[in-house]
Order: sequence, then structure tokens, then C-alpha cells
Amino acid sequence: MARSALGCEAVVGSLVSSRKKEYRLTNRMQEGKRPLYAIVFNFIDSRYHDVFATVGGNRVTIYRCLEGGAFSFLQAYMDEDKDESFYTLSWACNLDGSPFVVAGGINGIIRVIDAGSEKIHKSFVGHGDSINEIRTQSMKPSLVISASKDESVRLWNVHTGICILIFAGAGGHRNEVLSVDFHPSDIHRIASCGMDNTVKIWSMKEFWPNVERSFTWTDLPSKFPTKYVQFPIFIASIHTNYVDCTRWLGDFVLSKSVDNEIVLWEPKTKEQSAGEVSIDILQKYPVPECDIWFIKFSCDFHYNMVAIGNREGKIFVWELQSSPPVLIARLAHVHCKSPIRQTAMSFEGSTILSCCEDGTIWRWDAATS
Amino acid sequence: MEPQTKSPDAATSSSASPSKMNNLQITKSLEPNFLPQDISSLIDSLKAQVIADRRNFIKDRIEENKKKLSSITNHMHHLANPLKNVIFSDADTMKDFSTQRKDTILCTLSGPDLHTIEKDNSSYLEDNSSVSSIGLLGNSFSSKNNFRHVKLDSVAKLPPYTTWIFLDRNQRMTEDQSILGRRRIYYDQNCGEALICSDSEEEAVEGEEEKREFGNGEEYILRKAIEEIGSSDTVLDYLARYFDRKSSDIKAKYENNFKTDKSDTSIKKSEKESDIYMGDALKEKDLEAALDSFDNLFCRRCLVFDCKLHGCSQDLVFPAEKQVPWTKSDETTACCNQCYRLASKMVNISIDSNSIPVVEGQPHSSGSDDRQLAPRKVPSVSVQSKFKLQQSESASSNAKRSDSSESEVNPQKHVIPQNSTSPSKVKLAEKGGVAKKGNSKRILERALVSAQKKQKKITLPDSICQREIRCRSNSHKVNEDISSSRSMSPITRNLRNMESLVHISHTSDCMEAIDIISGDAAKSSPAGDDDEDSRKEEFANENPCKPELINDTSWNVIEKSLYMKGLEIFGKNSCLIARNLLQGMKTCNEIQQYSNFIETKTVGGTGDVGSQVDGHKSNELRRRSRFLRRRGRVRRLKYTWKSAGYHSIRKRISERKDQPCRQYNPCNCQSACGKQCSCLLNGTCCEKYCGCPKICKNRFRGCHCAKSQCRSRQCPCFASNRECDPDVCRNCWVGCGDGSFGEPFQRGDNYECRNMKLLLKQQQRVLLGRSDISGWGAFLKNSVNKHEYLGEYTGELISHREADKRGKIYDRENSSFLFNLNDQFVLDAYRKGDKLKFANHSPNPNCYAKVIMVAGDHRVGIFAKDRIGAGEELFYDYRYEADRAPAWARRPETSSLKKDETQPSGGRAKKLA
Repeated sequence: MARSALGCEAVVGSLVSSRKKEYRLTNRMQEGKRPLYAIVFNFIDSRYHDVFATVGGNRVTIYRCLEGGAFSFLQAYMDEDKDESFYTLSWACNLDGSPFVVAGGINGIIRVIDAGSEKIHKSFVGHGDSINEIRTQSMKPSLVISASKDESVRLWNVHTGICILIFAGAGGHRNEVLSVDFHPSDIHRIASCGMDNTVKIWSMKEFWPNVERSFTWTDLPSKFPTKYVQFPIFIASIHTNYVDCTRWLGDFVLSKSVDNEIVLWEPKTKEQSAGEVSIDILQKYPVPECDIWFIKFSCDFHYNMVAIGNREGKIFVWELQSSPPVLIARLAHVHCKSPIRQTAMSFEGSTILSCCEDGTIWRWDAATS
Repeated sequence: MEPQTKSPDAATSSSASPSKMNNLQITKSLEPNFLPQDISSLIDSLKAQVIADRRNFIKDRIEENKKKLSSITNHMHHLANPLKNVIFSDADTMKDFSTQRKDTILCTLSGPDLHTIEKDNSSYLEDNSSVSSIGLLGNSFSSKNNFRHVKLDSVAKLPPYTTWIFLDRNQRMTEDQSILGRRRIYYDQNCGEALICSDSEEEAVEGEEEKREFGNGEEYILRKAIEEIGSSDTVLDYLARYFDRKSSDIKAKYENNFKTDKSDTSIKKSEKESDIYMGDALKEKDLEAALDSFDNLFCRRCLVFDCKLHGCSQDLVFPAEKQVPWTKSDETTACCNQCYRLASKMVNISIDSNSIPVVEGQPHSSGSDDRQLAPRKVPSVSVQSKFKLQQSESASSNAKRSDSSESEVNPQKHVIPQNSTSPSKVKLAEKGGVAKKGNSKRILERALVSAQKKQKKITLPDSICQREIRCRSNSHKVNEDISSSRSMSPITRNLRNMESLVHISHTSDCMEAIDIISGDAAKSSPAGDDDEDSRKEEFANENPCKPELINDTSWNVIEKSLYMKGLEIFGKNSCLIARNLLQGMKTCNEIQQYSNFIETKTVGGTGDVGSQVDGHKSNELRRRSRFLRRRGRVRRLKYTWKSAGYHSIRKRISERKDQPCRQYNPCNCQSACGKQCSCLLNGTCCEKYCGCPKICKNRFRGCHCAKSQCRSRQCPCFASNRECDPDVCRNCWVGCGDGSFGEPFQRGDNYECRNMKLLLKQQQRVLLGRSDISGWGAFLKNSVNKHEYLGEYTGELISHREADKRGKIYDRENSSFLFNLNDQFVLDAYRKGDKLKFANHSPNPNCYAKVIMVAGDHRVGIFAKDRIGAGEELFYDYRYEADRAPAWARRPETSSLKKDETQPSGGRAKKLA
């Protein structure tokens, strides 16, 4: 990458831990032999802010975080297909408020599980290859979006089981899409990133009537006029390798590649001349030994902190919205050595969970002082 | 949002920072000669400041964003809350979910062992902390435990595919989709590693010698430093060293900055001024200027804007043969209440006695009027004009030839006239090569545009148009004068003399002749020059009876040029022009009056005039008649495709598949194609899209089949792997719609050509399903007979180089949708295509693929090899080049591979027709 010009450098966080908050390891659990790829708290419904779910192999498991470091097991689901390997999950919500767990993996089938009735609600077939990430629109929790190896991002309505939009085509990704996220306030916007080293920002503004229609569709889901969104409104080439995780931070974007850092940048679109875009890289959050792909970070509900694991089983907790970035804590344990694929931060950030490739779940709690 | 310039701005406002002030004082005092350390310290301090500013800027931005975001998250928190209140009351299931397993809490997880752990990681555990055995940590909760699992019924998964866009016709690849020169990393499923996929030599060539732009910060330092310590060489050297650039760069940058600073204000002023003009830009814009986007974006082959197949900014090819203007004037009734017919009747009544023929009679378009006035004279019109046509035939054909040769020279000529002060000369010169064929005019236009800027462009073509108007109407006038045999004015007589002179002028030296003409014109009529105003006045005097004084000023540029176009298309039919081109701008009556005005205005005009339209018309007629004659003869001699024009085709047939077909690009030839013709050089036939006239020897002239329905090699089209073209072939015709628009003129014996299936998209219904062999497959819905056309294999048109690169990636996935089309393009259906891309390979296929030339484009048709029943899966032989075929497509060694072996092996495995 070219040296950034003077006056446009990013502020890089220092790896000296500020010890602002102290975390203690309070639990460790071996869930199975197969790697765990995702662990997610339920932020959709405030009743279940202490409930989290994990996926690994052909299994989806739901737990509750209890006081004092304990877990309580709530539900477990097993795909009949032994070869299924779930890569991702997201919490969603039916119109009546029953919590959904939406999971997807190597088979390319999205499973919508009604956790309220412990039944499969729907299975979405359509993606042509494995699913790498699913996210939920928090303002409309029955909309989920999925990123797939088939180079597309798809918007689904979990309530009616409709594939509303497909983000692919002429301006789409040129390789697997690894991560996707809804904009926190602009309901039309999503960001996606993938193996083509780019981050793309899409708008579904002109297709919004279709999204509205999907809620009232009574005919067969397959008859719904699914539309292609072929052109993103923004393409950012800031990384030179796979981009495996991206999240919005307000109007800024966080993204990471395999370069041992998370990058915070601002997409700038010029109003008068459409298509002309520029990127301002604002901050960088170093994460040592994080040079393998498919490691995802997570934030607390208010985006104050970000937690990310690395190849050696350590977790770095950064203060997100301070400049320069402050490393809050570095969490490590002698026995936690396998790569941490994803972390989960509780609502307030007081609990950090991590799931590892060796099938373990680790729980860290903030010390109350 | 603040632009990036924030940092310098902030810096200037906070320029009172102590460190800098110090520096400033120091440097000021040391003004005459600076010590190197002073310079560097100054630069250092400036740099530090820039960095600090940047940090502050980021801090502010993040703070700002934080505020925004916190309100958003709070709002979302509220969104998450109400759910509880609303739902909890009536949904038992919810309660279930949270309470159901309270009893079965995995309390064991918080077992005694944890205590020890906590001791171990009392704070931040680093690797050196004491070790406790892993078994002590927490609990194991393996899948074998006793808890019940809810089974998720398995759902059949789809065979893998990459999301693709359906195409019903091929598309050319857009630049940004090229993977050439881009580093591509692929994930190797087997070793779980990401590897870089690139050819070492190829990638090495593309050195990244990007020119670094000066950042805002650098610019700021540069400016400040030079402001404070001057721009001596040492300073520049220091700066250069500092920025890691050449000092010459720095200097250039500095000078550039200095200049722009000064000119900034003036630019702003001029911008303001130009803004004022922008308001009525559209009206002022000339049609030619407006047509610029038309030229660039309209595809003349597909007749659509923004053609994805041929792309924009195609070479402009103007046919040597122009269409005759619309001469159908069967409308005798008024088109609207503003129609000139109503108005002119009134005029007739009122000023019958001194009616001026100039106003009334229009021999070409509004012949009806003529008939009304003088029905007896109609025959004489035709006779005389015919006579005239013949007369001018030879001359004009000569002129034509000289024109074509001139058109090549002309652009150079036109560079000079830009600044010329005598417009008449310029225009006439242009006329010599240009106006006769309106098409080459536009080419010249472009040459001009490149040289001169917009203002000129608006004025110059305008005058050309005017000139043309005059010429045309003059020609009408001349005809009229002859036909109506009224008293011939000395002016018109003079005109006719000039006409002949013009013909001479075409053959001889153009410029010279023009001089003569203009002199002549000046003599014959005092209004011979271009001064509109004087002419107007004159005519106002001459025609006091004119119902309304129409002047040029009420017609703006675009309307005038639209009118000219209308004249070209519809002839002098004001109704049609008004309805189709000037709707909402001018009424029919106004147009009529304007055309009369123009006409009268140009009676005494200069000019080569009559030759314009006459020459054109006669040419047209002559050529057509010759063409017809030729056709007739050919027919009698029994049609054979060995006749001229087919040699290149025959060559291809004889050489068969040894080499791929050649991509066709229309040639620009303005006369019959000679050795320079791009088509000839390229080894393709000329097609209907070429500029050359129909008599071109290199043209593919279609077929004359009748009974055979173009389904066998008897048909020259079929034999050369082309589809018939209703524009070219003699007996191949197409009906339009359901017949409600009227049946087409049926040629031949009511037979139907069977060799236009791709053109007409008469394809079979193809279904996509799971293949019996592997993955996806294409299936046929209805049964078909042998050799029936099934559908087209569409995809992106990519270059061979690109295909080789993509092929490498596809090979890793072991699925390739590449298809060799011709010497220039490969079809890639990977991301864009149609369902037929899923048809699998088989050594014993039931289909075959064939590259066919359809209206100048190569397309791939899939045809039935045998009878295929309904619902059968479709297979065809991919015909991979032997050495590149993947394992599954390799034929047993014994089978005859001779043909394939001779093929040049280039690139990756690609399907062949």
C-alpha cells in the first residue's frame, strides 16, 4: 500500500494496555469437537439480552449467561445433515416478537429457527454456495441479510420467507462475500466485503417498495419479484487481501483484513459528482497475530468497545470511539491457544465471550470494583 | 461534511501557535541567508503542526460521530424494549423460551474448579501465568450429553453455483470487471490457505509507478515554508528531500500553486458569468452539439442507446448512400388548427391577384398544393425534372468521386478557417466536401471540435445549416421555375449557370471555382453574401404582401437545425416536421412560413445549390436502377455464390475450423471498398453496417433462396454460417407483430426463411434442473426435431487475454463457462449468461453448438443433433482443445482427435463451436 500523504495519516492506537477495565476469566466450556464459528448475544429483544447462541458443525445451541460466570443451557438444534457446518448466525424476530435464530453455513441453506416454539420456522434455499455471514436489521428485525460464497448478498424477510433483493451482478463482488452489515440508522444502506479485497456500500432506496411489499406478500415466496441490485454506491479498496469483517460505526466503517489491524474509515461521496468517491482512513486498531482470515470482531450495543480474538487465542478489547484509540484490555489464558473465530460482547460490554476453533467457549467478566 | 482541506484551514486560523511564531521570528531575522538547520527545523515544526491538526480533526470527527451514534443506539434500545411489554402479556411461548429450562441450568459449569482459574488469571493473563490442567477448566459439554436436541429436517441443498445475471444477448465486458493486472487471491479448499494467483512474469511488468499526488498537508507545508523563507534552491532541495521527491517536482508544484492562486479570482469571475449563460444553453445549443451524445451513445447497429454489446463511442460510420427524403404527401387535410393549409388558403383568398409563386408552390413535398393551383402543369414538372436529373447525372457522379477524395483532405483545410474573417469562403469550401453528404459533415465537425471550442462550434455549424437550407430551397425553387414556366427572372437564370459551374468546381479545383461562384453570385444578386439582416430587409421590401414578417430571430438555433433535419427526413412537409420534430416549439404554420421565408431569401443566393439535392437524388435513382438491373441479370444467369463478393467467405469455408472466425467491424469506406478497406484487410465481408455503397465488391450479398427455405448448404448464408438478413437477402422477409400493422410485402413464393432463428429469438423453452450427471443441467421442455434451433449461449464478451486469466481461476473450481467465439472474443457465461450455460458436456451429445454470424455479430446457437424428446437433458460436446481439456472432458485416446490436434493451443480450456 502506498504511503499515505502527509496530513492524511490515520491515528494508530497504542498497544499499551490502559487497563481501564479489568476482565477475569469466569468460565470455559467445551461444547464439542468441531470448531465454533460464531457466537452472538441477542440484542434484538431486551428481554433476552443475556441470551446468546453459538454455531459449530451441524449444531446451533442457545445459552443464557447467568450471574457469577455460569451458563445455563437453553436449547440445541441439530441439522440432520451431518455434513452441514454452520458458519454464522444472527438473532432476528418475527412480527409477533418471537425470537428467531437465523443460521447458515456450508450447505448454503439459511435456517430460521423459532426459538419460542423450538421449531424450524423456515429454510431458505437459494444461495448457490456456503453462507459466510448473516446480519439482522435492528430497526426491522424480520429483515436479514446474508453474505455468500456465490458472490451475492441477499436480503430476506424471515417472516414471509421471501428473498427480496440480490446484491450482485455488474458491480457486485468478484469473489466470496465474507461479511455484511446494516447501517445503524439509514435503513437503506448496507456494507459488504469479501475475498475480492473490497468493501462495497449498497443502497436499496429505490427498491424499498419491494421490501415493503415482502411483508404483505401472500402468494408463494418463489413468485415474489426478486430484484437484482447490480451497482453499489461505493467501492472501497483499502485492503490488499481478503476483507473478512465489516461493521458500521455510525457513518464510518470498520473493516479488517489479515493485516493485524482493524481500520476505521469514512466513505466520502461527493453529492454533485456521483460516482466520484474518496476514502479517509481515520484510525487503526492494531491486533497482533491476527493474520488468518475468518476472524470477526464484535461490539457492545452502544459501540463503545470492540473485542477481537486472534490466531493465538488472545482477545484485544479496544475503546472504539476515542481518539487516539485506547486498548482497554488484553485477555489471554495459557490454555486458550486455538484461534478465536468470533467474540461476543454483552449489552453493556461487561461480559465478553469467545468461541474457538477447538470448540470451546470462554467467558470473561468485567471486574466490578 | 468537511472537506479534506480542513487541516490547512485549521492551521491558518491557529497560526499563532507558539512554536511557529518563534520560527517565524527566527526566519524573518535571518532572511538573507538561512542556515540549513533553520530550514529543517521550520519544516519540522510545520510538519508537526500538520500532524497535530490531523489528529484534532480526527478527534473532532469521531466525537461528532459518537454523539450521532449514541442517539441512534439509544433509539434502538427503545425499539428493543417495547417488544417486551407488548408481547409478553399474550405470548406464552415467550415465557417458555426464557423459563422453560431454568431447571436444567448448567450450574455445573460454575463448578468449584473455576475458583482456581480465577486465581490464575487474577488480572491480565500473559503466557507466563501458572498452569492448571486443562481438565480443571470448566466442564465439557459435548454433543454426547443428555440434553435433547431439536432435529432440523434436512433440506436438499442446491448444486453450487455463482450468482449470475440473466442475459438475453451478449454483452461486452466493462473495463472495471477486468481481472487483468489485478492480484487475485484464491482460497485453496484442500490446504486451507489463501494463495496468490498470478503469473510471475505478467505481474512483474505492471510496476506501480504511480505518481504521488501532493497531499493537502504537503501542499500546506510547501506554501508556508516558501512564504516564510523564500523559494531559493536550497529551500526547495530541502523540501524535496523532506517529501522524498525530486526538487523539480517541488518547484513545478510551487509555481503551479503560485499561478493558480493568482488566477483563482479571475476564474471565479468567469464562472459566474458562464452561469448566466447556462440558463438558456439548451436553446442556444446547436443540434449538432446536441447530437454529440447521440453519436457517442447511440448504437447504430442495435438502434438503442447505451448498447451493451457494441459499447459507446463507436466509430461513426456513415453510409455512402443516403435515403431519399420522405416524399409521401398524401395528406391534403389540415393536421391541426394551426396548420398552414388553413392559413395559406386564407392567404390565397386575400392576396390572390398578386400571388407570388415563391410562396405557394412546393413541387416536392406539398405537391398537392401545386396540383390545386396548376393541375395542368404537374406532368411537365416530372418530365422536366427528369430531364434535368439525367443531365446532371454524369456531373454529379464526378462530383461524388471528387468529394470522397476531398473529404480526406478537408479536415486540414478546416483548421485554417477557424479564425478566418471571411465566412463565405469558409463555408463554401466546406460545402465542396461536406454538405453534399451530410454524413461526412459530422465527421468534419468532430475534427473541428477537437480543434476549436464550443462557442465556435455553435456558430459555425449553424451557418452551415443555413447554407444548406438555402441550397435546398434553391433547388426546389429552380425546379419550380422550370416547371411552372413562369417568367424566368434573370436571377434564376444566373443561378442555373452557376449550377453548372458548381459541377465544374467539384471536378476542378474547389477553391478556385468557389471564388468564381461567389463573384458571380455577388454580381447576380446584391444579396449574395451572408449578411442576414440586409437580406431580410431587402426581402421585406420585395415582398410587401407577405402575411407575416417571419424573421430569423424568432427561430433559435436548435429549432432551425431541427427544421433542417425535418427537411431531410420528410421533405418540405411542414405538418410532419411540426408533429415529429418541433412539437411544442413551432406550429405547422410557422414552419411553413419560415420555410417560405428561407426560400425567398435564398432566391438570389450564392450557390452550388441545385446540385445538392439534385445530384443526390439523381445519384440515388441511378444507383438503384443499376442495382436492379444487375440483380435481374444475375437471376437469369442462375444464382451462384461463386460470384464476386464471396471470395473471403469461400476462403473461410475451405479453411473450415482451422482458424476461428474473424470479428467484423464496419468499415468507413465512402466509395466502393478498395485495398484500404478495413474489412478487406481484416478478412471479413462488408455488411450492411459498412459505409460503403451496396455495390461494394466485398459485400456479402445474402441469398436468393426460395423453396429450400435456407436450411441447407445450398443457401450461401447457411453455408457460410450466417443467418439470413431480411435487409440483405432477397426472399427472406419478416412480418411485423401480429399483422395488425399490415402484412409485409411478401417476396418469393410466400415461403418462410428458416435461417433467422437467432435474429428472431425463436428459441425453445429450456429448463434448469439438477443434472443426472453432476450439478446443474439444462433440460428441454418440448420435443424438437433434428437440427432445430434450441437457444443461444450468451455471456460476457471478453478478450482472449482476459479469458486466459479468468480460465486459470475457473480451472481451480473445475467449472468453466468460457466459449471461444472468434479471433477477438471469448464468451464467458460465468457471471452473466443464460440457462444454456448449464448444459453439460458429453462425448455423445444430443446437441451441437455453432458460431453464427447474425447481423454482423457472432453468436453461439445450440442446435439439436438428433430428435430430442420433451424433458430430456441437453448435452453438447464442449470440444475442448485436446491438451487443455479437464479430465472429465477428455476423450479416450482411440477416438479421432486429428482435427483438434491441429488447432493452435492458446489459453485455457475453452469451449469451441
